[in-house]
Amino acid sequence: MRQLLSLLSCCLALPALASEGTRIQVTGEIIDTWCYYSGVMGPPDAVRGSGHHTCALWCSAGGIPVGLLAEDGTVYMVLKIGQDAQSAGGDTQLTLAAHTVTADGMLYERDGQNYIIVNDVVEDADITLRTHEDYGVVPPFAVPEDAR
Amino acid sequence: MTRIAATALALLATPLAAQDFSQGSEARSWNLYAEVPARFEARVVDVLCELTGECAADCGAGGHQMGLVRTADGVLVMPLKNNQPVFSGAAADLAPYCNQTVEVDGLMIEDEDLNVRYVYQVQRIKPQDGEWTKANRFTQVWAQSHPDAAGDGPWFRRDPRVNEVIDREGYLGLGPEEDAAFIEEND
Repeated sequence: MRQLLSLLSCCLALPALASEGTRIQVTGEIIDTWCYYSGVMGPPDAVRGSGHHTCALWCSAGGIPVGLLAEDGTVYMVLKIGQDAQSAGGDTQLTLAAHTVTADGMLYERDGQNYIIVNDVVEDADITLRTHEDYGVVPPFAVPEDAR
Repeated sequence: MTRIAATALALLATPLAAQDFSQGSEARSWNLYAEVPARFEARVVDVLCELTGECAADCGAGGHQMGLVRTADGVLVMPLKNNQPVFSGAAADLAPYCNQTVEVDGLMIEDEDLNVRYVYQVQRIKPQDGEWTKANRFTQVWAQSHPDAAGDGPWFRRDPRVNEVIDREGYLGLGPEEDAAFIEEND
């Protein structure tokens, strides 16, 4: 009985142990996860690329998690890029907003969500999706009146 | 013995079964496609630390993404947004509760089409033995760290790092010439 309770105690506590992760290399776009998942600015395709660049900058600077949206639709929450662990509003991720990059790093999975520690941005292809041609700028006020 | 074992197994099964975290929630709807009100108790963690063991003493002081490990089932919930209208995350609101147990209320995004279940908008936070406070801290923290950017208009129009990128790359990120052509075509 003691063994059973000990086992249950272990499982009920559901300990979260840090793990080693798995090395991966993935290509995708650095996205703003709030706009992508919430739909607050429109459908997922509208909150990517050039049309959403300014909004992605604002969200990154505002501390919203950035994600790496892979070509297969998988989203990896970015927790660190190189030596920059400032995943909430950090400088490195800001410079990559809406860029398509190839990242080499460590993958961690928890409760169905993927997280990545980017060791190296192997390639930065800059912005490759010209979404402004289909959606304009999202949100429309991203380009202020005095710039028009 | 059989009864004890059955009770123990039931205890094990309870937190793993689907639970309704909307009970007692006072979260305001944001009319999001896949929003579900969710109020729950959780431990506030530095996600980098939680997953990798690379830990800062203060959870990164608001510079790291913060997570919520739900007491009921151990699920790591990822907050994406605080309670302020636009463009602000929840790290600044949650960092002061680093490694503490709190109660939170807000909106979970559960979208099968996007294969996501545990991302969250935090509307309010209640520390143990404390009162509910709205998760509205970001702009205050931003103003304190950007005293030279004080002025009229929303913070995101005045953020010097954002404006430096826009000055260099344009609103579209494709260069000033692409901006000029787009604006001319659409005005």
